[in-house]
Amino acid sequence: MDKMISKIYPVFLVGVFLFLMMATVRPSSANQADAARPSPDQLQYEPLFFELPKAHRVVLENGIILYILEDHDLPLVTINAFVKTGSMHDPAGKEGTAELTAQVMRTGGTTRLSSREIDRQFDLIAASASIAMAMESAHVGFSVLTTHLDKGLDLLSQILIHPVFEQGKLELARQLQLEEIRRIKDDPQKLAMREFSRLIYHQDPRGRFPSSASLTEIKRDDLTAFHSRFFLPNNIMFAVSGDITKEKAVEKIKQYFGGWNPKNSATDFPAPVQQPQTGMYFIEKDIPQSTIISGQFATGKNHPDFHAFTVLDFIVGSGGFPSRIMSTVRNNEGLAYSAGSFYRARPDYGIFGSYAFTKTSSTMKALSLINTVLENIKAVPVAGQELTWAQKSINDGFLFSFATPEQIVRQQMTIEYEKLPPDFLTSYREKINRVTVQDLHHAAVKYLDQTKNTVLILGDGKNPDHPLPPGGYTVIAPID
Amino acid sequence: MKACKILKAALLPAFIFIFIAAGSGHASDLKEKVLKQKLPNGITVLMLKRHLSPTVSLYIRYRVGAVDETKGESGAAHFLEHIMFKGTTSIGTNDYQAEKALMEEIKNAGRRLDAEKRKGQTADPETLANLSAVLKKLQDEHKKYFLPNEIDRLYTENGGLDMNASTGQDVTSYHVSLPANKIELWARIESDRLLHSVFREFYTERDVVMEERRQRVESDPEGKLYEKFMSAAYTLHPYGRPVLGWTEDLMNLSPDELEKILEKYKDPRNIVIAVVGDIKPEPTLKLIEKYFGGIPPAAEKTESYIPAEPPQTEERRVNVAFDANPSLIIGFRKPNAPAREDYVFDVIETILTRGRTSRLYTTLVIDRQIAQSVSAVNGLPGSRFPNLFALFAQPRHPHSNIELENDILKEIEKLKTQPVSDEELMKAKNHIKMSYLQSLDANADIASILSYYEVLLGDYRYFADYLDNIDKVTAADIRQIAARYLNSNNRTTAFLNKEGG
Repeated sequence: MDKMISKIYPVFLVGVFLFLMMATVRPSSANQADAARPSPDQLQYEPLFFELPKAHRVVLENGIILYILEDHDLPLVTINAFVKTGSMHDPAGKEGTAELTAQVMRTGGTTRLSSREIDRQFDLIAASASIAMAMESAHVGFSVLTTHLDKGLDLLSQILIHPVFEQGKLELARQLQLEEIRRIKDDPQKLAMREFSRLIYHQDPRGRFPSSASLTEIKRDDLTAFHSRFFLPNNIMFAVSGDITKEKAVEKIKQYFGGWNPKNSATDFPAPVQQPQTGMYFIEKDIPQSTIISGQFATGKNHPDFHAFTVLDFIVGSGGFPSRIMSTVRNNEGLAYSAGSFYRARPDYGIFGSYAFTKTSSTMKALSLINTVLENIKAVPVAGQELTWAQKSINDGFLFSFATPEQIVRQQMTIEYEKLPPDFLTSYREKINRVTVQDLHHAAVKYLDQTKNTVLILGDGKNPDHPLPPGGYTVIAPID
Repeated sequence: MKACKILKAALLPAFIFIFIAAGSGHASDLKEKVLKQKLPNGITVLMLKRHLSPTVSLYIRYRVGAVDETKGESGAAHFLEHIMFKGTTSIGTNDYQAEKALMEEIKNAGRRLDAEKRKGQTADPETLANLSAVLKKLQDEHKKYFLPNEIDRLYTENGGLDMNASTGQDVTSYHVSLPANKIELWARIESDRLLHSVFREFYTERDVVMEERRQRVESDPEGKLYEKFMSAAYTLHPYGRPVLGWTEDLMNLSPDELEKILEKYKDPRNIVIAVVGDIKPEPTLKLIEKYFGGIPPAAEKTESYIPAEPPQTEERRVNVAFDANPSLIIGFRKPNAPAREDYVFDVIETILTRGRTSRLYTTLVIDRQIAQSVSAVNGLPGSRFPNLFALFAQPRHPHSNIELENDILKEIEKLKTQPVSDEELMKAKNHIKMSYLQSLDANADIASILSYYEVLLGDYRYFADYLDNIDKVTAADIRQIAARYLNSNNRTTAFLNKEGG
């Protein structure tokens, strides 16, 4: 057995990990050995020591939470910031407001500089600055050469604090969004994923997506209102990493963001209502390959079942070639290049899904293979060896979550952003290791309930190869 | 809008000459930090110490790609890359001798089935069914003797991340990141699959590759357009063939065609290894020597005969009908790296499409508002042979490909007639330097870049010296190179439309 000893100090930030990768003797005789080629399972490795770099956490007077990690390898400073907002806060009938707010903050000028001037100055120093809106958050990405830090921060603070949303740039962003909606139909996976989300998040704000009608309704005032509701110093966290000291980072963030005034904001988001449209759905598209997505709500990161479900998902379909869906649908039957499962865990809920892209004639076969995998893992206990493989893979791969300072500081900020317990990362490996065969069975029975499944197939329904079951499905029309 | 712009511009502080000095101190001293060693048999090893985290990123690249395929066997190099995950004579087997005999039978059964299928309409349904049943029975029998996915299991179970491989026109690459103490595992697996690979599950995997083609080309308008564009731009040179292979070639590939490609891997002069991360160079090199040192040096360079593309004398156009929104690709033939022209094209690429103030983005997306997106890529589809400077764009409804093409060509004409301003040139160089620095952040990126230029050009220092060469590019160079290469008789244009027009 692989022995792994983690000696973890109470505070995560100064943890020292010790990985002992001992020789493993596997019962299988698969990997035969000779003198020149020792069995790969019996190679001996030196122990590995790892001291996790220490990140600083600072709270500014106006509420900005700052995580800082120095790294002077490259003359760059990088900022990742999270804002508690998201497209789930789009006003009803004006879906797309959050997205347009983010885009036009970046492109629509500020109280001091016109949109053109902002673009020009960012480009001259080759700084990259972006604001990306997601369903339950916004992410600000910023990277600049150390020598241009002041200029870059000045511009970044302007677009975050004082955007003016020039009407012309709002129109441009709106038109680009309308075109994006037209073009999603050309991309089977994107289209299927959006429509799957609409079915899963039925009756929930997360299930509303921009349409040409809703985009047309959005006025400049809507953007201003959205911005002033969410883009607040007490609603943002910064992770600063790179060629900058802690003192300098605090000083600079204070200098450029210290004047940003906090406001009360109600930003505790309710969990989704969880009333998905279950059953079989179909989207017609004349292409030779069907897209199959099938899934349901699962548990969240704060729930005791989280670690067991993470291992379950890995075994079912997200653990590469040896995982069950991949190995059944792809390796064994040659029915797909892409097949597997995904588990998107949020603090208080998660979405689990499985997928395969397969030629029209094998659509139903691929779906039935996926269903068999899911039924089988409920009915038959997982073998100890398969569990060990999943645990080792997840835990050793976890090392790479800390491969760059940017990742490290971002990870630590995310814990606080998602309101996870402070020991979430430090206890992660141990909790994964503690998952038992019984836990997997329990999680499979509890969360993989076929009657709660939403199944979406996108493909060529007119094809004589019949990609669809004989009856019992609903045809849906994608958003226009 | 216009008036406002001029007014604001007049109020601007003097903010023109910002030069990004990437020169000293930091990562640009690659030449001193990278350790380059040649094993006695000719394999090149590049090592770079980085102690940020106890991980290591490993690349092995072969100077063998789709261009090295024989005509009619397109897709063999990429298919081989898939098959290389199926194990070796010592990894993934219960009884290799039993497997060997069975796999010979599987190959013969597969051949007979392919031959019958090639008859098309005249193929006998009963014969097809019988041959398929025979193949299926043998495949099921074979399953008793091997364990699938052993390479994947070994890597992931030992903390391997981003285990992946890629096949290009020029080069095939295998990559994984591991905890720093697991380099031997990598050496054991990679040397073994190079020397003792076993082509298990061959015919099933061929179906997987067909699905990959359906996913990336047949169901994807951009993939389809790219394929048609390349096959128009290159009429004789293999750059015109898709890396995935033409369907008709792919469905007839047998293990023998893959074996031919694998033989080319084995010339040590075609092999470059890069190890970047928390390593001790001496023991690392010893490990690599232990596993790769036994590969015999090749007597003669096994260079494939690859026909040169004849000179182009007139514009080429191709129309693709696909039920999707319109898009286009325009490409110009040009010399490949490390030619001086190639650096100039890197700067032109940046001036045209990098950043919101780049010429094409400003003109087409912001001002005229006829485009959804526009981007330029220098150096497609590979760099071992003269290649293309390509522009990709999508018109915004209700505008058309032809309107977009006209405006793009107008901007290209400007490059030939009006010199690029100092500010614009500086801005472009700053962008290039920024991307360069950003590419030095992660072990995997550095290992990738070093091994790529070493295997492609025989010297990773192309990358170490890259910024100096970019700095030398002048406004006059841009004008001159644009005038020489960005012409209609050097151009291929592909449109994708619902109607195919």
